[in-house]
Amino acid sequence: MFRFEGVSYGPLKNLSFSINKKEKVMLFGPSGAGKSTLLFLFNRLHSPSEGQIYLEGQDVADYEVTALRKRVGLVLQEPNLFPGTVLDNIKYGPSIFGEWEDQDAKRLLQYVHLPSSYVNRDAEQLSGGEKQRVSLARTLANSPEILLLDEPTSALDYRTAEEIEDCLEILIEEHKLTMVMVTHNLNQARRLGDRGLFMVNGKIIEDGKISEMLTNPQTNELARFIEE
Amino acid sequence: MEPEISNQSLLFLTVFVFIPLSLSYFYQLGLSRNILWSSIRGTLQLFAIGYLLTYLFDLQAGIGIPLMISIMIMVAAFHARLKGRELPNVFWYILAGLVVIEVSVLSMWLLFDMVEFTPSEVIPMSGMVIGNSMIAMGLALERMKNEFKENNGRLLAALSLGAKPNSASKLIVQKTLNAALIPNVDQLKTIGLVQLPGMMTGLILGGVEPVMAIKYQLVISLSIFSSVSLSAMFITLSMYRYFFNEQAQLLETEEEIRNQT
Ligand SMILES: Nc1ncnc2c1ncn2[C@@H]1O[C@H](COP(=O)(O)OP(=O)(O)O)[C@@H](O)[C@H]1O
Ligand SMILES: [Mg+2]
Repeated sequence: MFRFEGVSYGPLKNLSFSINKKEKVMLFGPSGAGKSTLLFLFNRLHSPSEGQIYLEGQDVADYEVTALRKRVGLVLQEPNLFPGTVLDNIKYGPSIFGEWEDQDAKRLLQYVHLPSSYVNRDAEQLSGGEKQRVSLARTLANSPEILLLDEPTSALDYRTAEEIEDCLEILIEEHKLTMVMVTHNLNQARRLGDRGLFMVNGKIIEDGKISEMLTNPQTNELARFIEE
Repeated sequence: MEPEISNQSLLFLTVFVFIPLSLSYFYQLGLSRNILWSSIRGTLQLFAIGYLLTYLFDLQAGIGIPLMISIMIMVAAFHARLKGRELPNVFWYILAGLVVIEVSVLSMWLLFDMVEFTPSEVIPMSGMVIGNSMIAMGLALERMKNEFKENNGRLLAALSLGAKPNSASKLIVQKTLNAALIPNVDQLKTIGLVQLPGMMTGLILGGVEPVMAIKYQLVISLSIFSSVSLSAMFITLSMYRYFFNEQAQLLETEEEIRNQT
């Protein structure tokens, strides 16, 4: 589905790899490795300084950028909700494309396990976990085919993080989404992912089945990373 | 009685500058040089302007007024530009904004006979309009840069949901304008209650009837209010797009903003 060919940008050095449809990719590695930067290349929040990125065989630069971003949804570490109500937030994306209907709200809130009475809540008054769910619902509202997640639970406590994982697990299955998720939580990676990319200093140094990578690391770096 | 301020009493006034100066020195605020320099510079500037004005007031209005207004606008644009140096063409935008605002305000004054086309009326009143617009533009630029930094995550979220730069920046434009306009609105609300505005004070001290002074003050206050609002809106709405490139990507460092094509 996605193919990176010799991509460099900022900290990233000459990356080449592919991601297949419906793959659940966990991207992990020390902080500063370039994980967020890599994620932002998928939906063209950054453009490579060298190399090409292809989505279904076509250079992402050839897509209309807003249409590309609709297909490639992104959830950030912080919820970054917009001021206003929960409804204002979840209708933001679809409204851009003239696709919003108010009855969609209920379904979207169900996806993230929030009661539909939440639509009129002030986004600022929500708890951290609720905010992150709304942020996820806001991205899902665009019906993306690929979901990018940048450490979406790292600012949350263990319980709340697990609840979000539950939502994600079901969503990915039901919607047959392709997922690329940055996480530093290896249990989370094992639970949600099937493929792992281990990244150090702007390079992917291990790529494989996540369960095998974590039980049988091939590099010292990964072995050390798992120990920590 | 015509007020006449002697040079000795002016000298005495400098004592008042020494109070904050010594306090700043005492608390090591590091402002001493700044205060001293600002005071000296301010004084010299005012004297220079005083002599220049005397000269200009003697010139024909048709020459003196455009000359002085051009100088004021240039100086104001150079000064306001400093708040947004990395933004391409910011000087020209400010300059154009100030010219349009000043020309419109002045035309309105003259058209409705509120002000006479003589240097002694047009120049001080234009000075207030230009000066306040300059401050508003500088404030708006500074504020906008801060809002872009603070709302980086929200902007990325908006862009990643498919928003174009103009809709993604709505929030920022709104907050910037709010911040730039609030002091202005507050000032208009309490005008005459908390402090007598500068020009009215001047006119009353100069022996003009208070009601007459108030009329002048109203003309100037309302003119300032609308020009300040317009200049803040103009500069915000013309500059926000320089924080994005043509691929709807956010430019995050000053270098990226400065070096965009
Ligand atoms: N455009 C850029 N040019 C150079 N360095 C960059 C650029 N963008 C980010 N970086 C640097 O790359 C490093 C990795 O950033 P990031 O992708 O956030 O890492 P991670 O998400 O893995 O912690 C950071 O130290 C950052 O300062
Ligand atoms: Mg990161």
